[in-house]
Amino acid sequence: MTDVVATNETILVVGGGISGMTAALEAAECGKDVVLVEKNPSLGGRVNQLYKYFPKLCHPTCGMEINLRRLRANKRIRVLTLSEVKTITGKPGDYTATITISPRYVNENCTACGECEKAVSTEITNPYNYGMDKTKAAYLPFAMAYPPRYVIDPSLIGTPEAEKAKAACKYDAIDLGMKEETINFKVGAVVWATGWKPYDAAKIQPYGYDRYPNVITSVEFERLMDPFGPTGGKLVRPSDGKEAKNVAFIQCAGSRDRNHLKHCSRICCMASLKQSTYVREKYADDANVSIYYIDIRAIDRFEDFYKKIQADPKVKFIKSKVANITVDKEGNPILHGVDTEGYHRYDNSHDLVVLAIGMEPSVDASRIMPGVKADASGFIDIHATTEAVFGAGCASNALDVNRSVQSATAGALRAIQVINRVSRAEA
Amino acid sequence: MADIKIGAYICKGCGIGERLDTAQLTLIAQKEGKAQVVREHEFLCNQSGVELIKNDIANEGVNHVVIAACSRRSKAETFNFENVAISRANLREGVIWITPADEDKKEIVQEMAADYIRMGCAESAKMQIPRTNPNLGNNKRLLVVGGGITGLTAAIEASKTGYDVLLVEKSASLGGWAAKLHKRVPDREPYAEPMDTGIADLIKKIESDKHIKVNLNSTITKTSGAPGQFSVDISTESGSTATENVGGIIMASGFTPYDMNKLPYLGAGKSKDVVDQLGLEELAHAANGGPIKRPSDGKEVKSVVFVQCAGQRSDKEGELPYCSGHCCNTSVKQAMYFRNQNPDIDTNVIYTDLRTPGNGEDFYRSAQNKGVIFTKGKVNEVTTGSAGLEVKFKDLILNEDVVAKADLVVLATGQVANSGIDMEAQLLAEAAAAADDKAAKDAGEAAIERVEKPKGVSILNLTYRQGPDLPHLKHGFNDSHFICFPYETRRTGIYSAGPVRRPMDMAQAIEDATGAALKAIQAVENASLGRAAHPRSGDLSFPEFRREGCTQCKRCTVECPFGAIDEDEARYPVFNESRCRRCGTCMGACPVRVISFENYSVDTVGSQIKNIDFPDQFSEKPRILVLACENDAYPALDMAAMNRFQYSAFTRVVPVRCLGSINTIWVTDALNSGYDGVILMGCQKGDNYQCHFVRGSALAHERMSKIDDTLKQLSLEAERVKTYEVAITDIERAPALINEMAETIQKIGLSPLKF
Amino acid sequence: MTDLNKAMVETYRNDFLKEVEANVEEGNWVKMCMQCGVCSGSCPFGPDWEHPPQEIFAMIRAGKRDEVLKSESMWMCTSCYNCIVRCPRELPITHIMHGLANYAHRLGIAPKMNPTRRFAKIFWDNIAKSGRVNELELSIRLYFMNGFMKGIKTGLEMLPVGLGMLKTKRLNPFGLFAHGGIKRKGELHKMLKKAYEIEDKRKGFAK
Repeated sequence: MTDVVATNETILVVGGGISGMTAALEAAECGKDVVLVEKNPSLGGRVNQLYKYFPKLCHPTCGMEINLRRLRANKRIRVLTLSEVKTITGKPGDYTATITISPRYVNENCTACGECEKAVSTEITNPYNYGMDKTKAAYLPFAMAYPPRYVIDPSLIGTPEAEKAKAACKYDAIDLGMKEETINFKVGAVVWATGWKPYDAAKIQPYGYDRYPNVITSVEFERLMDPFGPTGGKLVRPSDGKEAKNVAFIQCAGSRDRNHLKHCSRICCMASLKQSTYVREKYADDANVSIYYIDIRAIDRFEDFYKKIQADPKVKFIKSKVANITVDKEGNPILHGVDTEGYHRYDNSHDLVVLAIGMEPSVDASRIMPGVKADASGFIDIHATTEAVFGAGCASNALDVNRSVQSATAGALRAIQVINRVSRAEA
Repeated sequence: MADIKIGAYICKGCGIGERLDTAQLTLIAQKEGKAQVVREHEFLCNQSGVELIKNDIANEGVNHVVIAACSRRSKAETFNFENVAISRANLREGVIWITPADEDKKEIVQEMAADYIRMGCAESAKMQIPRTNPNLGNNKRLLVVGGGITGLTAAIEASKTGYDVLLVEKSASLGGWAAKLHKRVPDREPYAEPMDTGIADLIKKIESDKHIKVNLNSTITKTSGAPGQFSVDISTESGSTATENVGGIIMASGFTPYDMNKLPYLGAGKSKDVVDQLGLEELAHAANGGPIKRPSDGKEVKSVVFVQCAGQRSDKEGELPYCSGHCCNTSVKQAMYFRNQNPDIDTNVIYTDLRTPGNGEDFYRSAQNKGVIFTKGKVNEVTTGSAGLEVKFKDLILNEDVVAKADLVVLATGQVANSGIDMEAQLLAEAAAAADDKAAKDAGEAAIERVEKPKGVSILNLTYRQGPDLPHLKHGFNDSHFICFPYETRRTGIYSAGPVRRPMDMAQAIEDATGAALKAIQAVENASLGRAAHPRSGDLSFPEFRREGCTQCKRCTVECPFGAIDEDEARYPVFNESRCRRCGTCMGACPVRVISFENYSVDTVGSQIKNIDFPDQFSEKPRILVLACENDAYPALDMAAMNRFQYSAFTRVVPVRCLGSINTIWVTDALNSGYDGVILMGCQKGDNYQCHFVRGSALAHERMSKIDDTLKQLSLEAERVKTYEVAITDIERAPALINEMAETIQKIGLSPLKF
Repeated sequence: MTDLNKAMVETYRNDFLKEVEANVEEGNWVKMCMQCGVCSGSCPFGPDWEHPPQEIFAMIRAGKRDEVLKSESMWMCTSCYNCIVRCPRELPITHIMHGLANYAHRLGIAPKMNPTRRFAKIFWDNIAKSGRVNELELSIRLYFMNGFMKGIKTGLEMLPVGLGMLKTKRLNPFGLFAHGGIKRKGELHKMLKKAYEIEDKRKGFAK
């Protein structure tokens, strides 16, 4: 049975992405006790699946390393992975959280030596690479996974493969009898940092994401660049492995659209500008990038980055929402539409099309508990919420990483205020 | 100091036992490493292994522990014992995972492991358990500089958390620019109408909060001390000065609106009916819900044109290159002032990119629905015609030049940060000027007349060696350089918030102020416990220097990236431990090596470097030293190992806190004692530097560029020392760089200094 | 210039957008366009438009009254509804295009020889007469729309189709003489008259 020591002076942080990790660390480094709950087998969240950040073009795993070191050094944070919050009941300063923990089938004895992975031959689709490749059914989610502990996929349970994995482990770390657990504990305040998910691209029918292999989303494009990605860091297109030298980016794919997401997802313009540098990084002067946009939203200092990309003769900007996509015999996507700056029609062929996919909250905040209110897009509305449940990061708004971390830090303070009220009352 | 008793624990798990002769390693730990207790264990990180160590600590008096197992990045929580100095010898990721299991390689792999045992024990012998900073400050009151929306929010949030606040405002009233707004952009559903600023209520709350002391008409004339013990001189307009003590500082000094008079081609200064956004707020305020009248003749405005990006996003001299972020939403709001009052008023917003992120899109739509016209175009000129103002612009959709007539023109100008003096820019300007002077002198010319060095009014007047204010990042804003860490300040305990950090709107300023309040609270809590702030959060070590050895060269005070070191009258360094971030840049800078940390010193690293076994010159076994940044290069090597990417077994890797902490003596000593090559692996330097200690990698590159002379003196080839920028994702490149060095050595031969 | 056109110019001065909002079906949506151009790109007849819908919206806002109303562009719309389905701002673009065409026609400034306009008129006259479309009459009128010789030529070209239809009883050759239609045509004409009255009143065209 998983043991969690928590009181009504404990802060529950839901979501182990960069916002949740930040909220947990900032609160713990202020001397507060924190339980950090993550539904995936590892902390890290979506930023960990990015190749680089805009506008510095640095690597998200660098910040992850610092945050993991902070986490390892801090005894005030209890991390629960493969865990989901089922209910929260009670009132500010006195909540009971109910958490279900799915079995990992691997206990803390695991040394991440990798012997079980070698022993198993069954493969499953790899969620870390958005299903673009496969991973063994006994796997470490990714190189920097925390906890650095293997996972046995539930599909393996009851098969001889599971026994093989168990037999390969010298450290008695594999426990095939693990069951789902439900635990309850007290908390005083909640930071809700469940982040975002990419909008379902298949719903944007004219772009054919579900029909054309060479139409992918921006989050998938990040994985193509990563040395741990499905192509080992090669920028090639899915249909035939051909080098993707002529790449189109379609902005507002799902965002700013009453048929899909009504809000602007904020990050996508900068993401495509950033990704244009990926194509240049791989193919230098053989690269050609076209960015189809409505408005380029490179806010504040990001304008510098936009200017830099604008000055690149290999990157074209076309003021146009692409009307639809067809493909030719070779599988090249052809984009049809009108450049509205002066009315020019185009039918442009590209090697690969990247949809700058919109951001929607992973969890509709209105479903958390009755006192938590969501805005029309599902983000937590702090002004209408009456519970001590504080949105942080992309659970509260469409934000970039920097603003998510600011939001998470603010969310942590709001939670601390509740905790401090409790402790003053009890003192 | 208590006697050191080293316990060395050699794990045999994860294949270590199969690949290595652990009995030999035990002997080495005992004989050469001088470990009093040495134990092997089948599986050290499991409960029985950990119990074994705990038992030795409790019953055998072991106070220094050497864990010879996996990388220091693995099982860190498991091998974490209170009041014990811990070293790690990396036998798994550092030895068996990066070398082939071939029988013929067994010897060199064993030698590698043996050296890591020697190094771990040597480090352990030289290190001490950190005693925590003796110079604690316990003041937990926060100073908030600036009484605008950011400062007020920070103050109220800190007070709500239970901390006292001292709020200093330069002007005679609270509220800042927010108080001058007629209404604000909405921050909540349905994002359709301008809403009340709420500032009056906030001011009332601040004024009635007994935990918040407000000083109006006041500026900071001196700030000294450190987190937990700042001393601040607050001077009033009347000339009186009071000294206050605080523990942490939030700098919310806000922005100054860009001076629109610099934009005469847009009619500014030429017609009273050309106003900036704040000018329009004044008009709206005066109208108080009635018709807005134009300033020139008081006539009701029937048509208004908003010129977006006025003097912004511009390459023109004297204009702002950046986007101020809020102005699109602000013009949307201001156009509504007109349409809500009278739907017959023509309101045209001329923009190049309309930037209303997030739910701002709803606000934009709401304005369109009210009949505000948005035209994608570039304004070239605003002139005064007979019938009013004429806005000449290029319509970018219809691709034609157009003239729009208007009663009133609103220029959406930008925010200029009130960020004080940028010492770094001044130093650079001075250095450039000195170079110019020298060049002129060399050429026999008179000194060049040059533009004056950048000036400004300091906000904080810090007495720090590194200048009176927070360093600027870009365009005068003093944002953090790090995407993951927006509050990673370069002056410990001082956090900027609001538009002084980067251009922003009220909603963001409120969020930012709340975050900054947490960080300032955290800083005072850390300071009272003697703990380091981010990124080495919780580190209890601190720098000390041996006064008698110091030559007062000031390199440490100059190079400290955090302004932690002052100078006393005798020009000796004065360490402010609470400001220190424990990177060790001072230690790397010191030419006489008198600076050290208890658990990280010239000795702890130097002894690791020297305490390896050098094979004789005939054995053809080179030794390569890698000094790797512990945040990026070392994890990259670890992850390379997880992928079983191999590198030369002749390598000995020593993780360092930062490349800035590398003292050149380590490199010269290494070469002198017989290493054949030395590689330094740090983070990216330059404008987009990734070093969390700012200049560590850059400093290492500079220092190493000067090592050529030393190499010449030793008659060594320059290729034997290499400094690289390595990213954490360089899991293939990092091993390749090592292998490259191994090939180089093979080419140029072993070091002649081996004997 | 027709009287109605003159009156409208007088009423709205240079505010063409307001004129469109008041007089054109769904005209109050024009202001919501954000110039993304997805409508222009989505139109199957796209290349034939001199001014695609999004550009027409920009022109309306820019006050280009004559250029818009005298344009052939909105007559190109075939009501495929691609643009409406894709418009991120949910503008009823098809309806606006028809509304503009209809308004230009009302004002008497629509291009006189525009084939869509002429077909529409023939079709309407045909159906309004009897309440049902007389296909034979409609086809023949259509063939002869551009002159007698052209009509004969088109008629001969279509002869095999006509014969085929005759054979399969899809065409009633007597329709040319006896215009069938609904019972109580007078009632229909009364209804249409009333509808015109209501429409004109609503749109402010009534005298």
